[in-house]
Amino acid sequence: MHLPHASLDIAYPNWRVKPAVVFAQDRVKLCSPAAAQTGVRVGMRRGGVNTLCPQAESFLYNPAAEQRALDAVALALLQYTPELALADNNTFLLKVTASLALFNGPRRLGQRIRATMHAQSFGIHLSMAPTAKGAWLLATASRPQARRALKQATLQRRLDTLPCSRLPEAQACLAWLDSIGCVTLGDLRKLPRSGLQRRTHQAMLPALDAAYGLAPETFKWIVPPPAFNHCIQLVERIEHADAIQFVAHRLFEQLCGWLAAHQLAVTRLTLTLQHEHGRQARPPTPLPLTLGAPSWQIDHLLGLLKEHLHHHVLDAPVIAVALHTLETLPRAPASDQLFPQPGSLPVDHLRLLERLTARLGSDCILQPCPMADHRPEVANRWAPLHQKLVPEACIHDANRPFWLLDTPIALSVRQHRPFYGSPLRIIGGPERIEDGWWDGLTIRDYFIAQDQNGTRYWLYQERRRQDGWFLHGLFA
Amino acid sequence: MITEPQAIAGRTLRAEHIHPALWRASQLARPHGRHIDTGFNDLSAQLPGRGWPLGCLVEILAPQPGAGEMQLLRPALIQSAKQRIALIQPPYTPQIAAWANWGGQASQLLWIRPKHATDSLWATEQILRSDTFGAALLWQSTVRSQALRRLHLAAQQSSTLFIVVRPLTAARQASPAPLRLIAQPNPGGLSISILKRRGGVLEGLITLPLYTNNRSADSAHATLDRRASSARKPGHRVPELAR
Repeated sequence: MHLPHASLDIAYPNWRVKPAVVFAQDRVKLCSPAAAQTGVRVGMRRGGVNTLCPQAESFLYNPAAEQRALDAVALALLQYTPELALADNNTFLLKVTASLALFNGPRRLGQRIRATMHAQSFGIHLSMAPTAKGAWLLATASRPQARRALKQATLQRRLDTLPCSRLPEAQACLAWLDSIGCVTLGDLRKLPRSGLQRRTHQAMLPALDAAYGLAPETFKWIVPPPAFNHCIQLVERIEHADAIQFVAHRLFEQLCGWLAAHQLAVTRLTLTLQHEHGRQARPPTPLPLTLGAPSWQIDHLLGLLKEHLHHHVLDAPVIAVALHTLETLPRAPASDQLFPQPGSLPVDHLRLLERLTARLGSDCILQPCPMADHRPEVANRWAPLHQKLVPEACIHDANRPFWLLDTPIALSVRQHRPFYGSPLRIIGGPERIEDGWWDGLTIRDYFIAQDQNGTRYWLYQERRRQDGWFLHGLFA
Repeated sequence: MITEPQAIAGRTLRAEHIHPALWRASQLARPHGRHIDTGFNDLSAQLPGRGWPLGCLVEILAPQPGAGEMQLLRPALIQSAKQRIALIQPPYTPQIAAWANWGGQASQLLWIRPKHATDSLWATEQILRSDTFGAALLWQSTVRSQALRRLHLAAQQSSTLFIVVRPLTAARQASPAPLRLIAQPNPGGLSISILKRRGGVLEGLITLPLYTNNRSADSAHATLDRRASSARKPGHRVPELAR
C-alpha cells in the first residue's frame, strides 16, 4: 500500500481542489494537481513556483510529522494483519495470506483497507501480488488497472512491462541500461545474469529476483507500542459536537488496530477534547466511554460515541482530540458451546444497555440494589448500572405497595379520616416501623387504606409527632 | 335472508379456513404468535389466544397512573422469570421489596427514567428492537398515534410483552394497539372492560378479585386500643373511623 501524497495529505487536506506545494530544502517535493496545471514541477525552486502559481499554499516538508502520521496509519492497518512492514517511499507491506479468509477474500479486504485509509484521510495506491517486492513495484509504478496480480504468472506479465527506472536498485546504471536498449524489467531479465552481476549494482539482481518470487524476502515487522495514547491536532477548530465524530473515527481505527495487534478488548476509554491554550485557556473536556461488554469492533465504538455526542454541547472550540484507553482485557475467545451459559447476559442485551446509558446518561438507567433496612425509602435503593453494589436481602412477608412516593404527601383530615381525593378507609395495619436511630430515629405506624373507588394506599402516621397522615405508597 | 356461503358449498366453511387472519365478528380472533397467560381465568377467556399477546402493543388505560396495572400484570410478569423487565418512565418509584414479595427476582427489574418523553419513546423502541427483554412497560400520558404505530411495528419484530399505560382520557383517541383495556380499581380488586380486541365487543365488566384479606379476615394484627364507649348523648356524632 503506497501513500503517494502523504505530506500533502498531512499538511493540507484540501489539496485535491486547490493548489498546494510542499517544499523540502527550498525545492518542490510534491505539488497538487491544480498547481501542476500551472506548470509547477517537482524539483523547482521556490522563486519559480511564486512566479507560476502565486496563489498556491506552500508548506514545508516536516519529516517528524510525517513519521507520526505513518505510525498512526500503521496502527490502523494492524487491524488487517499482524505482519506489517514499512518499506521505502511511504509504502506499507501487508502480509495478508492468513487474513484473506477472515475478511472474505482479497476484493473485500481491499475495500476495507481503502475505507480505513479514507477515514484516516490519506489517498492510497493499493496493489496485491504474491511477492512483497512485486506488490511494491506495482503500487508505486503501475497504472491503476494493473495493480492487482493474484497469480505468479499475472505478476510476471505485469512486472515485465514496467520500465527499469522504477526499480530503485537499478537507478545507478540506468544510463547504461538505456544505452543498450534495455527499457523494461522484462528486457532486463532476458540479459545474461553473469554479465549483469558484473556490470550493475550488486543489489539489483537480488531485488529483481525478490520481485519475481525467485528469492526469499526478509522484513522488519512493525511492533505496536505497549500503551495506546494518541492525539490528533486539528487543522481547523471544531465548534460542533457532531464533527468530532469524524476525527474520532480516525482515532478509533487506530485503536482497533492496536487492540487487534495485542489481542485485547477495551472496556473503558476516554476521549479528551482539548480547547484553546493561551489567553482563553480552558481545561480539556474528558468524554468517558464505558462499554457494557468488552469490544474491539469499530462500528460498535462509533455507534456508542454517536449516542454520547448526541446530547453533548461543546463549551469551547476544540483544537485537538486525544484518545486513551483506561481499561483493557484480554479478548475472550468466542464461546464454542451450542447453548448459552446460564447466568450470563447475552451480548445484545449488554450492548443495548450501553447504548441506552450513552444516550440517556448513566443516572437515568437504574437497577435494583436493595439494602437490608426496615425504612422503606432506605431499603428501596436503585443504583446506576455501572456501580457495582452488593444487593442485600429484602424484607420478606411484609405487605408492601409496588409504588413508593419519593416524598410523602401530607394528607388533610376530614371527619376524622385522612382524605386523598375521597375519604380513605383504613383496612389494614398498623405496622410499626422503628429504625434508623443512628441518623434520626424513624417511628412510623403504617396503615393500608382504600378510597371510595377501591384504590389502595399506604399511609403512615409519625408516632412521635401527632401531625396527621402521610401518603407514602400505592398498591398498584 | 342472506345465504351463507357454507350452505352453498355444501360443507362447513369457516372464516379461518379462508385465511388465518380472518374471523367472524361473533367470535374471537384465532391466535397467531405467542401468548402468555394473564393468570386470571375470567380475563384470559375474553382475550384472543387466552392471554397477553407477545410482540404486540397492548394498551392499558387507567384512571390514575399506578392504580392497578401492576397487579393486573403481576402473574404474567412473574411468569417471565429470568428475563428482564423494563419499567420506562413509571409514575412513582418502584419498590423492590414489593416485587421480591411477589416472587420475582430483584435483578430482573430495570428502571429507565429519561428526562424527556421523546427519549423514553426512543429507549422503548431500542428495547423492543433488541428483543432481549421479557417485558417492557411504558407509562405515557400524551403520546402521538404515529409514535404508537412505530412502537407497535417495533414490537411485532420481537417477542417482548409490551404494555403502554395511558390515562383514561386516551380512550377516545384512536390507537393502533390491537388490544386495549380499561382497568379501574374497585373495592374488591379491579374491574376490566375491553375497549378493543380482535373479536366481538364485550359488554359489561370483568371483575378480578385481587384482595382476599378484608378487615374482618385480617386478624394478624391486634386492632387499635379503643376505649369503652361512653354513654351516648342525644345528637352526638358517630366517629366514622371506629366501626
